Amino acid sequence: MTLGRDEYLAEHVRDSLIHDPRVNEQDVLVRIKERRVFLGGNVSTRELREAISVVARELLPDYEIVNETTLVPAVEPEDEERVQ
Amino acid sequence: MIRIAAVGDVHFGTGSAGSLRPALAHLADRADLMLIAGDLTRCGGPEEVRVLAEELEGLPVPRVAVLGNHDYHADKESQVRRILEDSGIRVLEGEAVTLDVDGVRVGIAGTKGFGGGYRGACGTDFGEPEMKAFVAHTRKMADRLERALSTLDADLRIALMHYSPVEETLQGERLEIFPFLGSYLLAEAVDNVGADLILHGHAHHGREKGVTPAGIPVRNVAQPVIRHAYSVYTLDSKRVLSAAS
Repeated sequence: MTLGRDEYLAEHVRDSLIHDPRVNEQDVLVRIKERRVFLGGNVSTRELREAISVVARELLPDYEIVNETTLVPAVEPEDEERVQ
Repeated sequence: MIRIAAVGDVHFGTGSAGSLRPALAHLADRADLMLIAGDLTRCGGPEEVRVLAEELEGLPVPRVAVLGNHDYHADKESQVRRILEDSGIRVLEGEAVTLDVDGVRVGIAGTKGFGGGYRGACGTDFGEPEMKAFVAHTRKMADRLERALSTLDADLRIALMHYSPVEETLQGERLEIFPFLGSYLLAEAVDNVGADLILHGHAHHGREKGVTPAGIPVRNVAQPVIRHAYSVYTLDSKRVLSAAS
């Protein structure tokens, strides 16, 4: 599908992030405002964080990409839950 | 006390090597078994699951998994399953396994599950063939889970799935996508035959704790929810053994 009206652009970016094999991520929050693409949510690796910007930039080269995703590494749990 | 380490939605890609293993260094001191609630990979590629299999290789606790929707994306789920099983991770789909943990029989029944929605706001197998197929798939998963659970002769029974059986653990997700996050049919299947704990993933923006209408505890262990490499749940085996005797 061709890129059309601005109102649909965020969903096109999200679709690219889901299907591009460099990312394959469904959880990125995408917001577009005044020719800036804001990308949010949590990611597990630095490589994935960078790939998200690359894919968005390839789709919308004339927009500024603002990657606000947060790197959340997997760490050991502090405690446990006793399930009753 | 039986200690269960659980996590879902690790979404391993080819660049994920080393992202999980350091946090598993003390797993054997903290848990008796490890359960993985689906979405092991980003898009179901054999090369992705090989990275995860290497990451989990040699862990000194039994490991049991179900696949998630991401693990089906490349249409290579059989290969994904084989790679996991070759590395010692038991994969369940409408199946059950019983583990002996210090004399306590821990039974686990697992399925991917599927969507459809929840009581009062769910899809039905009516109308177009596509809609019938959607709901039929969920029914098949739920029926197989119920059968698998009912075959278990165990002191503790755990239902492991990817999609959510209850709405409670979806709170935080947008209401509009609830039908794509799980189905009440999965809860009904477990409530029909009973279990001590239900574990699922899939709902990254949901919350951890819920309960089925029959009172079975439900835990959403999607990694973005638990925000750790795994969570540990302990179940009182003495109570169970006492009840069994």
